[in-house]
Amino acid sequence: MDWQLLGWLAVALYLAAEILSIASLRKPRFPALAPYALAGGIVLQFIDLHARARALGSVPYRTLSGSMSLFGWMLAVTCLVLLLKHRERSIGPFLIPFVVIFSVAGVLIPFRPTPPRPETSGALFALHVTLAILGYAAFALSFVLSLLYLVQSRQIRRAQTGVLFARLPALEAIGGMNRTAVSIGLVSLLVSTLLGAAWAERVWNSLGDAKLAWAIFTLAVYGLLLWMDRRGWKGQRVALLSILGFGLVIFSYTFVNLYLSRAHTFR
Amino acid sequence: MSGPGEVRLLVLGWNFRTAAEAVRERVAFTAEEVRDGLARLVGRGVVSEGVIVSTCHRSEIYGLADERGAEEALTRFVSEWRGLTAQELAGAGFHRIGADAARHLFRVAAGLDSMALGESEVLGQVRRALALAREAGATRSVLHRLFEWAVAAGKRVRAETEIGMHPLSIPAIGFELASKVFGELPERTILVLGAGETAALFARHATEAGVSDLRIANRTPERARDLAARVGGRAVAWETLGEQIAGADVVVGTTASPAPVVRRSDVEAAMRQRRGRPIFFLDLAVPRDIEEEAADVYNVFRHGVNDLEEVALENRRRRAREIPEAEAILEEELGKFLAWFGNLSIVPTVTDLRRRFEVARDAELARAPEADRERLRAFAEALSARLLHEPLRRLKAEDDPARKLDRADAIRHLFDLDGLGEK
Repeated sequence: MDWQLLGWLAVALYLAAEILSIASLRKPRFPALAPYALAGGIVLQFIDLHARARALGSVPYRTLSGSMSLFGWMLAVTCLVLLLKHRERSIGPFLIPFVVIFSVAGVLIPFRPTPPRPETSGALFALHVTLAILGYAAFALSFVLSLLYLVQSRQIRRAQTGVLFARLPALEAIGGMNRTAVSIGLVSLLVSTLLGAAWAERVWNSLGDAKLAWAIFTLAVYGLLLWMDRRGWKGQRVALLSILGFGLVIFSYTFVNLYLSRAHTFR
Repeated sequence: MSGPGEVRLLVLGWNFRTAAEAVRERVAFTAEEVRDGLARLVGRGVVSEGVIVSTCHRSEIYGLADERGAEEALTRFVSEWRGLTAQELAGAGFHRIGADAARHLFRVAAGLDSMALGESEVLGQVRRALALAREAGATRSVLHRLFEWAVAAGKRVRAETEIGMHPLSIPAIGFELASKVFGELPERTILVLGAGETAALFARHATEAGVSDLRIANRTPERARDLAARVGGRAVAWETLGEQIAGADVVVGTTASPAPVVRRSDVEAAMRQRRGRPIFFLDLAVPRDIEEEAADVYNVFRHGVNDLEEVALENRRRRAREIPEAEAILEEELGKFLAWFGNLSIVPTVTDLRRRFEVARDAELARAPEADRERLRAFAEALSARLLHEPLRRLKAEDDPARKLDRADAIRHLFDLDGLGEK
């Protein structure tokens, strides 16, 4: 199938990006080629996702395979933004593996087109789903960055100057990337939530969904995080809050979807 | 083993391992002395090529000389030159000959023979030694090639192993830790408390690393100004310490004060002004300058001299772990150098030159008509024997060993003898 081939090609480019970013980490003078490979993978995977979307008649969120692939793609996009914005080559090797994992899952899990549901077609809904997944991807990267922040902070305090200490970037650089990731996530989730609410209002004439409440709660936590970062609480506390925030995201993605929400069961 | 006229490398040296400082001081040479000494060494024919490596930790004289009696002649020369008896010199020094001499230089260039294992200044010192020797007209093809090879091998060791990576000095380790908080340090503000020896050491390291905003605060303002002028920093008033701490990213304590000069409350006040931006304290003072409890304030990092010494110890171990790999690289490079050097002596050059003629002859004969080949072969052999006779006679008759090797080198180059085996 053509999307499988494209999917694997994208995965190959992501792997190349990982190898290239490890190479440029080991040899400072190695040209920074990883963003190009990553961008190439993003283009290929987009074509693949587009093909899937055509087959489904909607954004491929309802099948496991499609949503994994979409999530992986969003991770890749956010990763690329972080790499280009912060020019911090040493973070690539730690983030790109997640892109690879989800994209591989997207290709390996069999893709079975499901019959389209009429109410889920249309740009409003597509944008709602896409932005939500982008938001989750950005929060996932923020989670990883926060873990790296805590690890590096601990190593500095204990004067443990081993391999990981040498390879990981400075705390301020990780913090700056985390800020970017959270900002992307916050804006995406905010717009997605508004669109979702508008859609629900139109289809059901009601906003009463647990998912909405949970999204507002999540938005508040990340908003608080950015505010703290600006107010000078940057550092470890921001990292911890970002980890907590991602916990909320996971909870919302699993428990809320399965038991509380009526619109997000994906059945 | 080899007849008269064969030449070899030798090195006579005194370093921090073998010689007491009293002797080392006497054999430490200035650049002027090196040029002068080398000119005399070569002029008198003690060696036909020479290079002197002289740094604070070592003085080494490399020479290319006739096999017999060169060490004695060299020792005599140095003993007259520096006014030390031959026994004093021999007792305090070491000598190596042949491949061991070359190996020694390779190890020196790679930093394996340095007090601070893997340090890289020595590479520049080796390069400068070669430049001085060239100025003095004391090097020709062999030592020139040996030193360039040693420098290249030293660079390779540094690029391919971690022997020069983990810092050993306390300021460098402090800097490394701080740079993992802030990223590049040159754009940061660094405040040094105190103006003594430790302060100077750290301040100098900071300016060498490119820090432009270096501030020095000391109870006696004159001394702060004095140090600031020496290292290129700025003296700030001790009375404004609170403000200064709030404005600095890295604060280095080096005063001799019996009580801490920075208290937790000072740090809390500073952090309020900094709006939470992290601050890094490096306490190199004994007793400590920065109250230990200050490290409990949010986003404050503090390291004492003990922490850094432990890292230094660990880093020394990390560098030492790289020695086997470094030595393997050096042996590989040394092997290539020795192969080149070995080919330079007359016998292989003569053999290779003859073979070069044979190869050319056979190539031409292969194109000649079958019937004429025997006759042409005889002619070609006679012609090459005649053409080779005089050059080879002159090569063998050369008295000066360095010139002999120069000429062998030229022949090898002009006739591409080193590329002979590949074809």
